[in-house]
Amino acid sequence: MLASVHSRPAPLAWAALTLGLALPAAHRSAQAQDKPVVIRGGTVLPISGPAIPNGTVVLRGGKIAAVGANVPVPAGATVVDARGRYVMPGVVDAASHIGIGATDLNETSDPMTPGLRAIESYNPFGEFGAGQPGPLRNKEALSGGVTTMYIAPADASLLGGQGAVVKTAGPDLDGVIVREPAAIDMTLGTPPKTAARARNRDPATRMAEVAMLRQLLIKAQEYRRNKQANPTLARDLGMEALDRLLSREIPGRIQANAATDIRSALRLAQEFGFDLIVDGGAGAWEMKDELAARRVPVVLGQVSHPYVSNEEIPDTQDYPPVDERLASRLTGAGIKTAIATFSRAFGSLAPAGTGKWLLIDAGIAAGFGMTEDQVLKAVTLIPAEILGVAERVGSLEVGKDADVVILDGPPLSVKTWVRQVYLNGELVYQK
Amino acid sequence: MSLATTEPPVRSVPFGMRLSPLGFGLLLATSAAAPVGAHAQPNDAVLIRGGTIHTAAGAPIQNGSVLLRGGKIVAIGSTVTAPAGARVIDASGRDVVPGFIDNHAHIGAKTTDLNDFPMVIGPQHRFLDVIDAFSDDWKRAVSGGVTTVVTGPGSGENVSGMAVVMKTFGGADLSKRILLEKGGMKFAMGPKSRDRYPTTSMGVAASLRQYLIKTQEYLAAQKKWEDDGRKGNPPARDLGYESMAEVLTKRTYVRAHVHSATDVMTLVRLKDEFGFDLTLHHSTEAYKVAPELAKRGISAVVLPLGPRIGISEDAMAGPYLLWKAGVKIAMHADAPVIDQKWLRLCASLAMRYGIPEDEALKMVTRNAAEIARVADRVGSLEVGKDGDLVIFDGPWYEPRSRVQFVLGDGQVIFDRAAEGN
Repeated sequence: MLASVHSRPAPLAWAALTLGLALPAAHRSAQAQDKPVVIRGGTVLPISGPAIPNGTVVLRGGKIAAVGANVPVPAGATVVDARGRYVMPGVVDAASHIGIGATDLNETSDPMTPGLRAIESYNPFGEFGAGQPGPLRNKEALSGGVTTMYIAPADASLLGGQGAVVKTAGPDLDGVIVREPAAIDMTLGTPPKTAARARNRDPATRMAEVAMLRQLLIKAQEYRRNKQANPTLARDLGMEALDRLLSREIPGRIQANAATDIRSALRLAQEFGFDLIVDGGAGAWEMKDELAARRVPVVLGQVSHPYVSNEEIPDTQDYPPVDERLASRLTGAGIKTAIATFSRAFGSLAPAGTGKWLLIDAGIAAGFGMTEDQVLKAVTLIPAEILGVAERVGSLEVGKDADVVILDGPPLSVKTWVRQVYLNGELVYQK
Repeated sequence: MSLATTEPPVRSVPFGMRLSPLGFGLLLATSAAAPVGAHAQPNDAVLIRGGTIHTAAGAPIQNGSVLLRGGKIVAIGSTVTAPAGARVIDASGRDVVPGFIDNHAHIGAKTTDLNDFPMVIGPQHRFLDVIDAFSDDWKRAVSGGVTTVVTGPGSGENVSGMAVVMKTFGGADLSKRILLEKGGMKFAMGPKSRDRYPTTSMGVAASLRQYLIKTQEYLAAQKKWEDDGRKGNPPARDLGYESMAEVLTKRTYVRAHVHSATDVMTLVRLKDEFGFDLTLHHSTEAYKVAPELAKRGISAVVLPLGPRIGISEDAMAGPYLLWKAGVKIAMHADAPVIDQKWLRLCASLAMRYGIPEDEALKMVTRNAAEIARVADRVGSLEVGKDGDLVIFDGPWYEPRSRVQFVLGDGQVIFDRAAEGN
């Protein structure tokens, strides 16, 4: 579980807070909406509570100012008529690579690169964005109602680097960062073995994968000790990143699908005392008791295509027979379970079910044992909690970021379209 | 899947009789006139009662029924009654649709048997030769309501061989499952190697053209020998040219894996030049040249609607644009790339972009059958067609809906309740 992790304000806001500076006008207007917005008359799904028919949501100063059935309309507000529509919090995609080009996904020259930051490969422009200069708009994600996502290096490395939580729209590349670094990203199982074998080097087996990670984490422990004893010790970017992991400032996310890989992930987390999130988790049911007891959350891949690996048809020894009930069963076992896209290079044949399809895909789980409420929670509040950003996003609650999606039908129907997306109170997408 | 527990007891209708035209006609006549009387022999009749029947051959029938016997659909409508001894399945409040047809898949074989990579042009390969009747793929297909599939070689060669059209159920004897043995010649556009010819799309076009010319010459030599009164030894046989000759003589047709509009037009030029029948597969950018396809009656089987593949909104609307231009289209899952269970969602997503519900359904049933040249047997719920259908617990196109029953050749081959999930 995540222990007392706090999100950091975006760098500019941070500077303004600490130095008492006024933010440049462009950033101020982008981060704080000028005029209140009132979304009125729709079926409001706050996620944190029951549906509110004919409900109202008030957005002010980039935050949610009110949610309810009888909420007064502030003077001078822009009123949005949502009659016949559904209003829900922005969708949170707990695992994505969208915005990172195919050649920037994996630093395959070295199986362990803790110093790398995914944000520095993040290039959500061109087809990912509006395709023109101006504020950043990841239309691909926004069109599916996704307003927050975790981006990370892909899985060819044993330890790929540091992931980030970003919004899908903002004034610029820095303005979208919610939390960075947000986790250390690791992978166990077939993908690192395959990548290493192609270069004729370790790890060639699962044993080597775990031994190499263990050796690296031991080094990080030693670095931590030496640094405490000698503050002038030469800096090492990778070791500094792992220090954050070992001090539980950020969690470790380990992509592990086969039960044996999940077991290794649990063992490493216990041995080195870091907070663990299991990504992929196809074999999680076999490990459910330990996952539940240790309160380890699981981020599952798409229900329709649960193979989160980079291979088009992945190694079957990593994946037990596909079970669409997995999300329901894990949730029922008390395991915090999110459904994510793990989407990769845009427009390629690699797994790239982008945020655009997350609601539709997750809707399948509603036929396999989950209630609609549970499904919606698995793509909003639960991923927000797993990412450590639930104080800002994931539900329609007063004080949270004004990230609101308006849909023209029930959120899990294939006929439904996202009509408007408000992010930090600003209209950033309209169909 | 526990077929043994879900199938009704074996009835005493001999197999041969079930399929004989005479027996069939008799059944049809009795069911149309009146319910079969109490004197009727024990039979294998199944009546699906009270559902919304989406026939893919007309308007939906509300509160309708379908009677299956002898492996075939023998009656359909709003007033069909159950003959004595028939198994009755209550489908009230449920959607009944034809068994789905995946027009383009690579199932039933080992993934290592899909592509003969060293080969560039290998029309002599037959997918039939690598099909495993006991593969788990078949169960997966059936559980998703897919009852007919065009399964064939991959796209690792520019010509990779003959696909086969077959049922996804029916046991070890493949001959009983095959609808069309020469199920189409697979072409795949785009260079397949960086190390050997062809490494460009120009090279691919030239080598295909060269091979087709050689095939023409092969046919000409054959014809000359016959015209000359079959004197002397016949020309040497070549399995490759002999197989490609099936394409040029239109005994089969080309199934071309193609993404870019440029490669689509290359295929169109080859078709115009050599006069073969052409269908496009994956067809990502086919919408850009839709009028060219409509003009020539070229059908398109479209992949990109798989929910896993992020493509531009323009291309997502591609099936709609093709449909509007009058191009016949089907959706495919490319299984095992996308699990066939979600073939229906490929059609659902097309619906999202403006294709009407019944037309979307045709893309995974009737159109898929017509493109595969097996529409006389499958693809719609009409009297005389094979008894392949699917019963959903909700709208067939919604992600959350579940397959309740699948019937194949008139018998229950999947029963969700018996599966225990």
